Amino acid sequence: MTDPSKLSTGEPLERIQCQWCQSMNEKSALTCRSCGAPLDIRNLVSESGWREAPRIKDMTEFHFSSSTCQVEGEIVPVAEINLGAGDSVFFEHHIMLWKEDSVPLTVLQLPGGMTRALAGMPFIISVATGPGRIAFSRDATGELVVLPLHPGMEMDAREHAFLLASHQIDYSFVRVKGFANILFGGQGMYMDRFVTRNTPGLLMLHGYGNVFERTLKAGESIMLEPGAFLYKDSSVAMQVEFQRLGTGFFGGSNMALARMTGPGRVGIQSMYVHHHTE
Amino acid sequence: MFCTSCGRALGDFANFCGSCGARVKRPEAMQESAPVESLPVQPPPVESPSPSSALASPPSSAEAKAAIPAGSRTTCPWCGTVTDAKELSCPRCGATLSAPAEISETGWKQLPGRKDMAKLQFGDSFCQIEGLYVPVADVSLAPNDGIYFTHHVLLWKDLQVNMTTMSLAEAWKRMFAGLPLVMMQAQGPGHIAFSRDAPGEMIALPLQPGESIDVREHLFILATHSVSYDWFMTNIWYSTKSGDDQETHYPVGAFMDRFTAPESPGLLILHASGNVLVRELAPGEALLVKPTALIFKDPTVGMQLHFEHPRTGFSLWGSWGNRYVWLRLWGPGRVAVQSSFERIEGENAYMTSCSPATQHQW
Repeated sequence: MTDPSKLSTGEPLERIQCQWCQSMNEKSALTCRSCGAPLDIRNLVSESGWREAPRIKDMTEFHFSSSTCQVEGEIVPVAEINLGAGDSVFFEHHIMLWKEDSVPLTVLQLPGGMTRALAGMPFIISVATGPGRIAFSRDATGELVVLPLHPGMEMDAREHAFLLASHQIDYSFVRVKGFANILFGGQGMYMDRFVTRNTPGLLMLHGYGNVFERTLKAGESIMLEPGAFLYKDSSVAMQVEFQRLGTGFFGGSNMALARMTGPGRVGIQSMYVHHHTE
Repeated sequence: MFCTSCGRALGDFANFCGSCGARVKRPEAMQESAPVESLPVQPPPVESPSPSSALASPPSSAEAKAAIPAGSRTTCPWCGTVTDAKELSCPRCGATLSAPAEISETGWKQLPGRKDMAKLQFGDSFCQIEGLYVPVADVSLAPNDGIYFTHHVLLWKDLQVNMTTMSLAEAWKRMFAGLPLVMMQAQGPGHIAFSRDAPGEMIALPLQPGESIDVREHLFILATHSVSYDWFMTNIWYSTKSGDDQETHYPVGAFMDRFTAPESPGLLILHASGNVLVRELAPGEALLVKPTALIFKDPTVGMQLHFEHPRTGFSLWGSWGNRYVWLRLWGPGRVAVQSSFERIEGENAYMTSCSPATQHQW
């Protein structure tokens, strides 16, 4: 991988900008040092404007503060973090795959003392602090979405979709209000919110199946199956609407769709959590 | 037919000009009509003229061949469309044309590779298949084009795409996960996209006029309006008893979907879990497959249950408590299986009765 100290030597003006995270990279780089996206492959954008999340090549390494992350495997990828001294990441406890004995774990204190449960278990956000290695994976075929967050950025993610975030990022969750949103997220009514202050940070999500992103213009809307929602800029508004399904018998039923309205990015997963509507 | 933009000769089934890329404008009569309201509830065309036609050379009408100069023609290994050899992907089913077909020694052909973002053309619309693990079918509908689909596969849509439910005779008989199976239709212009919640493959099946295909239920993603939809009872079942509980199992589903292109060519898209393998059975040739692995078959292919038992002292002949459940398929025609399939329910329970079946004891 590129060594940041060497970046300023040689040809200073020749840089490649990563199309996924906008970071600048050395001309000879094959993958982005901030998000691991391949730089030698053209973007896959559908005619309808959805961009496929970059398929991170097996064993790709990328950097955040003084740590590195290597992505291993392609069907159910593992994120292996080599934490620098003083760096830490936080994550949901159930996605840990392995760690070095010496890496200390603590529990992130959430404000307000709110309790959430995941599958009947208390929902705990754990923190791992460097130096040392720790690895994560989630139990399904899917893709890792690497989102380097620049200062001032605010992202919302489907609950339980986030794999890890670096300690520069503030974590909170919002209760999505309104009875209709009970459908959204299925088992919960929460959405995780990640906010950066003055330092850049790293957010990694895991999407089921394939992940696509699209940037909505101000006022532009799209209808999503609620189970497909993965992440969005907090500037994107989300509202659940119903489509009536008349079957001619039993009065029919309703289908819930989430209307997403720009400006901002919206990320979706193709293998969605399906929620049957009543 | 000739391209209205550059004058090059075109095949009957071309939607885009291979020379200049312009969309082909057809006279009204040739456009795919959409007789949605009059879905024919017709008996299956058991004697389809040639079940192998779809694989062999369906749209290879003399004109289509003539339009492409000899020597620069290639036949899609999946759907048989004859296209210009310069094309990288088949314009009708999206299969990669540059790679040779992968056929196992036993005769199973793998669903051909598909480049990410491959485009399939139908009428004035197209469908892009995006992603490789859980692919998305992203349809760009032209103003007069429409498709239908089951409501649970919708992923996203543009606001202006109008969705309505499609009325089907006796639809109340069919349920999906305890809910009525609702067939919906979407009308262009605009984008609408679909996916199913399992890693697998999208199967594009262009149907030629008069061609029909039988599909295991719940694998259907979408069909164009030129494809008519019907279903039939499979009559493949067995009942098991456990204490006082009597249960009837339908290993290939109680119903099977049948899609037919009555007059004009149509496009059918299915989703299968895992990988997809297809083979052609000769007349009378039989094969045993796990019932839940079946994806589709030509209507000419017959099917029946088959049981096998071990001949052991304690497994009494009549107990049916220790047996394998198979689906016997016999040709002529195509059959397709998926590599990831559900467990068969009631395989080890005491069986009381079943649909006509063959059996073998070893």
